[in-house]
Amino acid sequence: MSDLYYQSLSIDQTRWNATIDALRAPGPAIGLTMAGYSTIAREAGLNFWMSLATSLGIWGLPGQVVLVSLYAAGASLFIIFVAVSLANLRMLLMVISAADMMDLASHKLPLWKRIFWMHFLSITSWTNLGFAQQKYPSHLLLAYYQGFTLTIFFFGILGTILGYFLGDLLKPEILRIVIFITPIYILLNIINARDKANRLAVVLGSILCPMLFPLAGEWAILLAGLVGGAIASLYSRYNTRWHLG
Amino acid sequence: MEQLTSFFAWWALLAAIAGTMVWRFAGVFLASRIPPDSALMVWINNMAYAMVSGVVMLALVHPTGVLETTLLEHRIFGLAVGLAIVVFTKRLMFSLLFGVVSFAVAVTLF
Repeated sequence: MSDLYYQSLSIDQTRWNATIDALRAPGPAIGLTMAGYSTIAREAGLNFWMSLATSLGIWGLPGQVVLVSLYAAGASLFIIFVAVSLANLRMLLMVISAADMMDLASHKLPLWKRIFWMHFLSITSWTNLGFAQQKYPSHLLLAYYQGFTLTIFFFGILGTILGYFLGDLLKPEILRIVIFITPIYILLNIINARDKANRLAVVLGSILCPMLFPLAGEWAILLAGLVGGAIASLYSRYNTRWHLG
Repeated sequence: MEQLTSFFAWWALLAAIAGTMVWRFAGVFLASRIPPDSALMVWINNMAYAMVSGVVMLALVHPTGVLETTLLEHRIFGLAVGLAIVVFTKRLMFSLLFGVVSFAVAVTLF
């Protein structure tokens, strides 16, 4: 489809397109992933309302998994707070980056609305926003994000609810294949980032983080982000200078 | 005892929610104060990419839950197939399908 097609879309059409994009694979995959999470939460001893509250309130799987595993291990409140904060520190960067991509300031939303919409930001919707940025004009990206992220959220919450009770319905042999979809979807999506430096950051982050994890635990995420982000930024700086001559 | 555990679980939950919301809030506050196209924004963006890919790879290399019952080699194989296809064809859904199917075949047959 031509650029003209995307330029001429209305806000409602954009939201609808985003909903369709979310329905194609990410929505159902997130639903099943969160169903998988809910079964872990139940095993760890959280009741149904707690499992639901984690998905509604945190809405970030890595942090939720950290919470559940530490809770099961009997960790202190302080340790839980620090570890979940580290696992979800990326939210800070994702929110800033998403606001920049959508040119959020130009929409003149009140503070509570900005916070409200950013509550639904997840890895999947952030990576997909980067993908949509390559097609949609920037004034439509907020609408795109709203349609996409709410659809994903709906599936995620539905998965959390159903997964708690129906966790045994899917055989583990099938469930483990389904749970594989979301991480692969995200990695395939971000390796296609438009910017070369971003792609370098993806490669560095995905090599460094699992390597550092046995040594540094949750701190590995922060370290991989700092080091990978710094090297990629140096690369883009050097590269621009090179091309400017 | 039952009640005590449940009481602690709710506090643990609140701590975890607070530990996440604090970043989202900070992000919204900082977003309007960082100039777009600045070196700082480039760095933040790159860090976000590195952290997101790091967290996701962590879930693949050191998984929790039912994914733990699969072999690392099989997970990496599925990822490699998907990556190879997406890099050459640039088609997301197509490569996703192939990546997941290769993983499913590897896990089921080997």
